[in-house]
Amino acid sequence: MAEPLVHIRNFRMDFGNQTVIRDLSFDVGAGETFGFLGSNGSGKTTTLRALLGIYQPTAGVLHIGGKVFEPRDGARLGYLPEERGLYKKESVLDVMVYFGRLKGLSRDAAAAWSRTYLERVALADKATTRLDKLSGGQQQKIQLGVTIMNAPELLILDEPTQGFDPVNRRLLMDIIEEQKRAGATVIMVTHQMDEVERLCDRVVLLKDGAAEAYGTVEDVQDQYGGTVIRVSCTGALPASDLFDVISTQDGSAVLAPRAGADAAQILHELVANRVTVRSFTPVRTSLEEIFLRIYGSQNDRVGA
Amino acid sequence: MKQHNLGTVVGFEFLRVVTKRRFWVAALAIPVVLAAVFSLVFISSSSTDNASQAQKRAQFTFTYSDGSGLVTAAVAAQFGGMKATDGDKAVADVKSGTVDAYFAYPADPATQPVQVYGVDRGIFENGKYDAVARQILVTGAQQKIGSPELTTMAQGDVKVTALTYKDGQVSGGLDTVIPPLLFLVVFYLSIVMLGNQMLNSTLEEKENRVTEMILTTMNPTTLIVGKVISLFLVGLVQMLTFAVPVVVGYVFFRSNLNLPDVDLSHLVLEPQPMVVGFLLLVGGFVLFTGTLVAIGAMVPTVKEAGTYFAPLMIMIFVPFYVVSVIVSDPHAVIVQVFTYFPYTASVTAMLRNGFGTLTLAESGIVILELFGLGFVALRLAVYLFRYGSIEYSKKLSLSSVLGRRRRV
Repeated sequence: MAEPLVHIRNFRMDFGNQTVIRDLSFDVGAGETFGFLGSNGSGKTTTLRALLGIYQPTAGVLHIGGKVFEPRDGARLGYLPEERGLYKKESVLDVMVYFGRLKGLSRDAAAAWSRTYLERVALADKATTRLDKLSGGQQQKIQLGVTIMNAPELLILDEPTQGFDPVNRRLLMDIIEEQKRAGATVIMVTHQMDEVERLCDRVVLLKDGAAEAYGTVEDVQDQYGGTVIRVSCTGALPASDLFDVISTQDGSAVLAPRAGADAAQILHELVANRVTVRSFTPVRTSLEEIFLRIYGSQNDRVGA
Repeated sequence: MKQHNLGTVVGFEFLRVVTKRRFWVAALAIPVVLAAVFSLVFISSSSTDNASQAQKRAQFTFTYSDGSGLVTAAVAAQFGGMKATDGDKAVADVKSGTVDAYFAYPADPATQPVQVYGVDRGIFENGKYDAVARQILVTGAQQKIGSPELTTMAQGDVKVTALTYKDGQVSGGLDTVIPPLLFLVVFYLSIVMLGNQMLNSTLEEKENRVTEMILTTMNPTTLIVGKVISLFLVGLVQMLTFAVPVVVGYVFFRSNLNLPDVDLSHLVLEPQPMVVGFLLLVGGFVLFTGTLVAIGAMVPTVKEAGTYFAPLMIMIFVPFYVVSVIVSDPHAVIVQVFTYFPYTASVTAMLRNGFGTLTLAESGIVILELFGLGFVALRLAVYLFRYGSIEYSKKLSLSSVLGRRRRV
């Protein structure tokens, strides 16, 4: 991997007596699209805020481009925070031009870029409308435009699809892919595992304040079972040393082979236990299944 | 990019205020209301004056008796009066409505009242009896004196030119007091009108959830300083909005508007009080701005901010409760406390500076205090915004924010 653009080592974050991040380390290489995953309250947003200097870390190293992030480096950054909003009493164009100016664009360049973007997201007629007169989804589009208008080297998106309908989610994903093709490094926090599988080169899964899994999507899939077996059957699944039952629903089940067990042994065991098998398909474990396996037992599902 | 960002913030913050209709409605409301009030006062005073003159000239039938010898028949006749032969009959004539009034002048009008009897014409019109009775006596007394100069002096209408000295030099008296006190007026107007904007300036970022976007784009110091500068500029626009109509009216329409003939050329601009007044104004502005911005960064909503806003506003009015002591006894304990307590210091010191009781040493201490604490308040505001405004919906604990370790 090339020199990492984002480098986090032994990051610890305490809020009073509560430890949110225990010991977290990972790197994100330049040009990578990186999935930052975890259940609600696992510390993803806290990590991003500490990386961007909004929080002071209790311990550890958090570097972007080899140094601690300073606001003056903001011209290279596009950050879509989880808690988002803009100056609601101002017009769309005024707000976009303002942030464009803060990110180093000239007034004319910021205005020209904004108009082009508004055309693209079908909001050209809203340029002089106050932001609070727009719908939530429209405001999200404006926010995304503000995030990418400086052609950032590093794009950090904290739950970017939040508040988007499926059509606009597709538009958002297209825009992220464009940024990726243009060479941007993308760090994405999301609960949409299909998007992660489609877009991300590598991921880290955060649990109990540390990295539970870290690597390419395939590495993580291999690490967590690699292959699962989707079974359509009738009859009770037997307790077995050969597999774990990940999920069951309406005559279907997902089985995770244990170490050393292969698909043929499992099928034999099912048949031997009088289970009528209608279909039996070994597939690679999806990230969603891994997510469920890792976080399924957690009761703590509030906060970010 | 810092300088560039400061200009961008100032431009954005300034324009977004002055391009709003509600700003101009608020800015113009005060001069318009004042103009309306002054017009009404002017019209009222004119009509009162006219009524008073009309009452003095009022013609009605009356009789009089004179024990003083001051009222001559000629003067009484001018007003339509005749000498009464019998006091009781004269009163009876008034009661029956045969004549409108009867005035009984005593032997010594200086110590005894003039008795006036009249037919009731209503509360306001009844005043004509009193006015005419007085005017007859005054005219009679003036004729008795026989000299316009003596009459003027007898009325106490004497001009006195006072010359006072300070440090061996002629002091300007009241003419030196007014100019430095204008800084106090500017201070009040700016804090009263801009206080809410100061308070809301950082609250807006929190309430709109813009904080993270801002903190990753520019230094919070740039944001806060930019906001303070734009507030200052907005204040300047508001002052001009007030001042321009007054100046235009005074310079071009003084005679038409019957404005009082105030000779501004008599005002004396003494360098020391003017410089001290200006520095107290700026220092006070910085301290209050820093404090209000810090409060805004600490609380989650405008409603909560109001809890802190009211006591701070009271601070700038409290010195006026003891203004007579401030003016007459600057060494009183209460005056000393108010002079040095930061949030009463600017008003108290500006008053004392205007009335010439603030020494140069005291001025220096108060100015240093205001600028020093103002700077600290602004730094605190930046710090609170930097590390605390991310707590969107919670009120910050000052100790927890200040207690955070420096970034490793």
